[in-house]
Amino acid sequence: MKGDDILLPIKQGQLAIALVCVVLGIMLAVQFRTTQDIKSSIPYQRVEDLSQRLSQTEKERDALVNQIQELKRTSGVEAASKEFERIKMGAGVVAVEGPGIIVTIDDSKRPSKPGENPNLYLIHDDDILKVINELWAAGAEAISINEQRLIASSEIRCAGPTLSVNNARYSPPYEVRVIGEPTTLENALKMRGGVIETLQFWGIQVTIKTQEVVNVPAFKGTFRFEFAKPSQEGGR
Amino acid sequence: MALPIAGLIIGLLIGISFPITVPVEYAKFMSVALLASLDSVFGGLRAGIEEKFDNTIFITGFFTNALLAAGLVYIGDRLGIDLYYVAMLAFGLRVFQNLAIIRRYFLKK
Repeated sequence: MKGDDILLPIKQGQLAIALVCVVLGIMLAVQFRTTQDIKSSIPYQRVEDLSQRLSQTEKERDALVNQIQELKRTSGVEAASKEFERIKMGAGVVAVEGPGIIVTIDDSKRPSKPGENPNLYLIHDDDILKVINELWAAGAEAISINEQRLIASSEIRCAGPTLSVNNARYSPPYEVRVIGEPTTLENALKMRGGVIETLQFWGIQVTIKTQEVVNVPAFKGTFRFEFAKPSQEGGR
Repeated sequence: MALPIAGLIIGLLIGISFPITVPVEYAKFMSVALLASLDSVFGGLRAGIEEKFDNTIFITGFFTNALLAAGLVYIGDRLGIDLYYVAMLAFGLRVFQNLAIIRRYFLKK
């Protein structure tokens, strides 16, 4: 036994060491793979750093928006007033308040029956669109969905499990604030065979609250005109 | 020496062929446990050369060292003490010490 081991003269415990080496080998391989996984994924710290920078940028943006509004308010000539104000209200860049209703829409609590499509019990973009359409038709003057003012170019679109409004994403419940004649608005929604009846058939929870003063926030985004420009003839 | 190396290769093959991964948050404990076992193996080799090898001490030392090291690092993590580096230093020193002794025996032969 002494002479046949050229490398190292280990006299005892070869078997035990070999056994332990098997375990060590497994651990080594696993550790190798884990380290590779860590290197290939974005380091955790980087994610944290990025999210912090995002929130900082958002804060900066909000401050700048406030500054813009401040400047707009102070720089406007006193006489530009009424027509200008009306146009701004129409465009949705100012927060408005007045009598109206608050409609809250939430997913169905009812469990879907086996074999039934569970999608039927969720709110979709077209459900919200139907409600909004009915409200505009009933003479709504300003509408917001979850703090997003609806303007001429607002989209209401399915974005995975969420709803995208003005490119901001929201999940249920959705709160639709509407300014207009409260009873007309309410009746338009509660009409027999109307939107709410259809939604409630699937158990989607819709509540309507009439309020003396409903605050509808201003549109917070910016207007971008890359292709359109005012045409020469036609005036306004 | 052939048997331990063969064991190591078999272990590596098993580890590569089975898709086992450790979650990222536990990778730290795994590395400490790995270093502890590495230390045990070198300690065992040294004892084998010195003819002081004890099977029970070696096997129990291997597992308890690895588990204790990982456990200590976990507790340190909870308490806000970075025992990770302490364990790394202690085991690393011992690995080098054992290696040096093994080398000396190898040269003496």
